Amino acid sequence: MEPILHLQGVSKMYGNQVAVADLDIDVQPGEIFGFLGPSGSGKTTTIKMITNQLEATDGEVRVFGRSLPVRATSEFYRRFGVLTDNSGLYQRLSIEENLALYAKLYDVPRQRIQDVLELVNLQDARRRSVAKLSKGMRQRTVLARTLLHEPELLVLDEPTSALDPGNVQHIHQGLRALNERGTTIFLSTHDMQEAETLCDRVAFIHDGRLQQVDTSKNLRRRYSEGMIQVELTNGDVHTLANTPAYAKQLYEYMADDRVAAIHSQEPTLGDIFVRLTGRELV
Amino acid sequence: MMMAVQRMYAIFMKDVKDLSKNLFVTTTVITPVILALFYGQQDQLPIEIHYLTFNIALVLVATFVQAALIAEEKEKHTLRGLMLSPASPWEILAGKNVLTFLFTALTLLVCTLLAGYEPAHAGIVGAGMALSIGFYLALGTLLGLLATSVVQASVALLPIMFVFGFSQIIEEMANRYQAAGVLEYLPNVQLVEIARQVEQGAAWGDVTAPLLWIVGWTAVMWGVVFITYQRRQLED
Repeated sequence: MEPILHLQGVSKMYGNQVAVADLDIDVQPGEIFGFLGPSGSGKTTTIKMITNQLEATDGEVRVFGRSLPVRATSEFYRRFGVLTDNSGLYQRLSIEENLALYAKLYDVPRQRIQDVLELVNLQDARRRSVAKLSKGMRQRTVLARTLLHEPELLVLDEPTSALDPGNVQHIHQGLRALNERGTTIFLSTHDMQEAETLCDRVAFIHDGRLQQVDTSKNLRRRYSEGMIQVELTNGDVHTLANTPAYAKQLYEYMADDRVAAIHSQEPTLGDIFVRLTGRELV
Repeated sequence: MMMAVQRMYAIFMKDVKDLSKNLFVTTTVITPVILALFYGQQDQLPIEIHYLTFNIALVLVATFVQAALIAEEKEKHTLRGLMLSPASPWEILAGKNVLTFLFTALTLLVCTLLAGYEPAHAGIVGAGMALSIGFYLALGTLLGLLATSVVQASVALLPIMFVFGFSQIIEEMANRYQAAGVLEYLPNVQLVEIARQVEQGAAWGDVTAPLLWIVGWTAVMWGVVFITYQRRQLED
């Protein structure tokens, strides 16, 4: 199957400064692909290149099988949705008026406005002027606008960075539902929890270079030290190697009904990122 | 085609709502209206005075309002949203120009009535003004695309106001300094030339040259606008 998004040897230079170098990424249709890196690692530059806003200095960027940048048609732009940190809204208009403009541009029925407002939990605020919204509500409005036309490819740059946990959960549910209906999602984030929750595969980017691309599960296994932690009912905590040599000890704890909890010692995506780059994922 | 019209109309209606709440921009219309009201109190005004008001209206309303609309879209990152939507450059620019065109035409009509200007040939003068609006809208669109903020567009308007708002000074310079002779062909000077010839009994055939100068300026300016817009679609 041809990838919906294909980057091969992609680099972007600003003068002598390297923004991203030699990126190779394939995103398959129907996938939720996480793009993880700290601020300034090249995430936004990459997003601009895959959304026809910036030309790569070197390499090939293909979206829907077309090389970018391209003099795009209405049909091309109808196929993807973009949310970036500088996606703007009309401040003097209400949430509903902002969405109504885009509903007409994408030729979607007005009922769809109600659907996306429910998805981002803004149905009660729809008549409020954007100028009077909090940062989180504005972000949810932009997200609602991005979801209006149920694009084939959704490119999201930090979509939940300014939101409270309740709304984050609500939006994650909505994104999953959208993905189940066929939308491929390219999600740039520095929130490892979000990546673990949503993404089928993740890529780490640091200083403009890809470090790893795989599923969260495989990455955690690969970087696991093979230890398990056993918490006993008396409060003692024992760390055991996950090997046959320790099976008898674990069996005895369990046979004596002394086990309060068992924790696998798999690293989080954040731990793996630190191990690979020496930097926190923030 | 129906979709193109629908998208253009959506952008137009958005601008109607947005502009109706934007006092900073809409109050610019007051200056030419006050000038027209003031001159309207006087008898036998020379044609140059009427066109001082009209040229100021063209710069302040067509150019400034258009520049402010586009510059604000850039400043607030909403133009990028339109560029990444199915709306084509043509639909976006047309949608954003129709409102300013109507706003300018209405301002010119009000100024004409208040100043008591009755051209000898309304058809020729109307055509000259309509073509001129096209030029000034293109100038405003270009200014908006080049500026990074509304404030920057407002500052850049000052030299434009000097060159295009005060055609008499420009004509004087063109007569006095040989090197400035080219200024005579500017669209504001040509518009006054059309009005003068009309008052001397000119018909359509007699004003072809000044009309063509305005058409030429307008076409060149729109060409520059489309090239600039295409370049702005990709970031540097």
